[in-house]
Amino acid sequence: MTTRRELVARLSALVGPENVVYRAEDLIVYEFDGTIEKKLPHAVVFPLGAEQVAAVIRLCNTLGLPVTPRGAGTGLSGGSVPTRRGVVIGTSRMRRILEIDVENRLAVVEPGLPNIQLSEAAAAHGLFYAPDPSSQKACTIGGNVAENAGGPHCLALGVTTNHVLGVEVVTAAGEITWLGGRVPDAFGYDLRGAFIGSEGTLGIATRIVCRLLPLPATVITLLAIFDTVEQASTTVSAIIAAGMVPAAMEMMDRMTLQAAEAGLQCGYPADAGAVLLLELDGIDEVIATQAARARAECFERGASEVRTASTPAERELLWKGRKGAIGSLGRIAPNYYILDGVVPRSRLVEVMGRVSEISERYGLKCANVFHAGDGNLHPLLLFDERVPGATANVLEAGEEMMRACVDAGGSLTGEHGVGFEKQRFMPWLYSETDIENMSRIRRVFGNEGDFNPCKLLPAGTGCGETAHHAAAVRAAGPDAYV
Amino acid sequence: MASDASPWPVPADAPAPDDLSRCVHCGLCVNACPTYAVTGLEAESPRGRIHLARAVDEGRIELTAAVQGHWDLCLQCRACEAVCPSGVPYGRIMEHVRAQVAADPPSGGRARAIRRFVLRNVIARPAVLALAVAPARWYAGSPVRAIVRRLGLAARLGRIGALEAQLPRHPGRPVRPGTRLAKPHTVTGRAVLFTGCVMGELFGGVHRATARVLARGGIAATAAPGQACCGALQAHDGDLAFARVLARRNIDALEGDDTTIVVNSAGCGAAMKEYGDLLKDDEAYAARAVAFATRVRDFAEFAATLPATAARLGARVTYQDPCHLAHAQHIRHEPRALLGRITGCEVVETAGGDMCCGAAGIYSLTQPQMSASLRARKAEQFRQHHPDIVVTANPGCQMQYEAAVREAGIEARVLHLAELIDEAQRNAR
Repeated sequence: MTTRRELVARLSALVGPENVVYRAEDLIVYEFDGTIEKKLPHAVVFPLGAEQVAAVIRLCNTLGLPVTPRGAGTGLSGGSVPTRRGVVIGTSRMRRILEIDVENRLAVVEPGLPNIQLSEAAAAHGLFYAPDPSSQKACTIGGNVAENAGGPHCLALGVTTNHVLGVEVVTAAGEITWLGGRVPDAFGYDLRGAFIGSEGTLGIATRIVCRLLPLPATVITLLAIFDTVEQASTTVSAIIAAGMVPAAMEMMDRMTLQAAEAGLQCGYPADAGAVLLLELDGIDEVIATQAARARAECFERGASEVRTASTPAERELLWKGRKGAIGSLGRIAPNYYILDGVVPRSRLVEVMGRVSEISERYGLKCANVFHAGDGNLHPLLLFDERVPGATANVLEAGEEMMRACVDAGGSLTGEHGVGFEKQRFMPWLYSETDIENMSRIRRVFGNEGDFNPCKLLPAGTGCGETAHHAAAVRAAGPDAYV
Repeated sequence: MASDASPWPVPADAPAPDDLSRCVHCGLCVNACPTYAVTGLEAESPRGRIHLARAVDEGRIELTAAVQGHWDLCLQCRACEAVCPSGVPYGRIMEHVRAQVAADPPSGGRARAIRRFVLRNVIARPAVLALAVAPARWYAGSPVRAIVRRLGLAARLGRIGALEAQLPRHPGRPVRPGTRLAKPHTVTGRAVLFTGCVMGELFGGVHRATARVLARGGIAATAAPGQACCGALQAHDGDLAFARVLARRNIDALEGDDTTIVVNSAGCGAAMKEYGDLLKDDEAYAARAVAFATRVRDFAEFAATLPATAARLGARVTYQDPCHLAHAQHIRHEPRALLGRITGCEVVETAGGDMCCGAAGIYSLTQPQMSASLRARKAEQFRQHHPDIVVTANPGCQMQYEAAVREAGIEARVLHLAELIDEAQRNAR
């Protein structure tokens, strides 16, 4: 047992007092991420570099305190919420680009670097970093590694694990080690692969080697407007069946379009039933032919209009709406619960029907955004957490929707991670043996249960209870027992 | 809410719960925030500050000195508002949390009281302000300044020294309500030039340049009498009651027809475009305020609609967006388009050209440390890009860039967009 005062003193000795946050009113802003989970940490620290991260982790292990890593707090599965309190390790003060190696097309960055800043810096050399989550202006590369983040352009280019060559990691045991390196295909067990997407349960990345790609010569973005989600969905399958692999293929339904247009004025048709945002990139002639074919497929399946954006400004406007679509739903309701299911593309229409049936039954407004090319759907359930019972209602509806995805042969998460919110669904897809094997990997990295607890794997007891916020805050005085 | 008949009661208007609940804490704003970029702290981000306001509103935490400190460090630059997909009215929330703080400040009550007194009784009273600013205006253009600088005296004067570095090099004679301005040969239209507070006293040259540029476009601008300070500084400080008083005074003075009101100070323009919101609960003024606001145009916004006049200026120019022009008024394109019309003008964009310079009204006085960090970022960019001219469109920014240019150790001039265009048009005659 230690008092908070002692804890703060010891953390301050390791990282400097200016890098420790501990007052109740300063901690309260670290109780959330982009989801609806909330829990107050005992302290938040901002170490600078692997040595300090390791020292903090070892101290917490000695004190038996849970550790939770945090990037920008934009996550959508509760991954950076300190579910069992303890110490949050923030990476927001490690945000440098250490190196851009143009010849070998790679960059070495610190984990707190916002995703977009890497592509911005690489653009000067005609290069870019491919994974582009919708939150890329805010989310960090370290967080992307933890969640194996995707993004609209991962349809053709792959997700984070395809673009990270190596990571310097401080393990849950507080050891510093390199997984992978500067060249692809390291021999031995692919621990780099195990680490990426481990949702902050194995350790904290302190340096990341990112692969950079040359910027495409030509990009054409199409916005196809449909009356119904069904028409748009069948078009997606048709385009892929025709042998095309668009750089991105995104779908938005009517409610999303209306919110995005109201919030971002991006020129979306607010009266359409659904739109498809299609992006093609590559060499001029090939792209022109593909764009013509894609347009034809859209019209054949009932598109009323297909707009083409060819200048960077027009493209940016179309994407602005898509990338801000989720946040713009704040105009309709104060809270949303975003789901992240994956279904085989062929069953998209059927599962969509189930989703709307479920939301109607629960009396919920539901907006839909999809990475349609991947069969990755994001139903967003809108509610007001201040209404008693509303949160529970939404969680129950969400569970049914996830069940529908799994029943259709899909999975629990496309890109947001399992985090806190879906760990209890893991047994739907994994056997006891599967889960036990995964928890053994945790132990290899030194996680005996206190490193980002209650995330990814079903943790048994002690994690599910909801926070009594007011009581927690009151108990958070400087001398409260930690 | 009753109309504020007396200018003196302190309103306790805390932020509206509906404004606060609009934030879904998606976090897309955090990197747009200058104070988050500098500190890396969630409590110094828009999302964090809103969460604190919500926690105070819900009674989960007390409004302590620490909470106040996080709100006070906000620049109110509204860069977050421009990127917020949910349309959270962050600027309004910050004005209201400051009103809430002002009702019973946990710390710094005396400084706040002095500030409020100055904002009400010096800044908003033209005669007092003229007296107060006169020595600075005399000093700014006098040979004494060169001597002070050569001897390094200013550096020893702390905050006064910091102010010294910010004074414009050529303040020009003041322009006040009623001052006569340049007239066009052939009048094709009319406009009211909003004179403002410090702007009219320390930047009379900018007002005269504005009038000349408009005149060359056929517009006769007058510094209409009776107009007052816009109330932006008071509102940002949480003194909404007095901001409303000033707004009503301006409406009384300038309403009557639909003449465009041209504002060359981004902060004033943003505030005046929002008079409708400020006075929405005032039965006698609500509709009039909305009508007034639709007449307000920023200089760049208005000048871009005028027929192009020949202009030439061989210089490397960087345009730095004033926050309340880019973020609050969404005007980014027009100033650059106007620069694009000048023959020989090479425009260079710097990294963070639309990030706050740290001037932010009276922020450089209330938060000198953070203000200096942000200024240093600008200075670093100026060192890298070596512009001949730094151009912006707001008096506070202009003053901060004077200091930043000095800090960068480069020989650049700092001009208001209107001054630059005026000079280029004269060159081409």
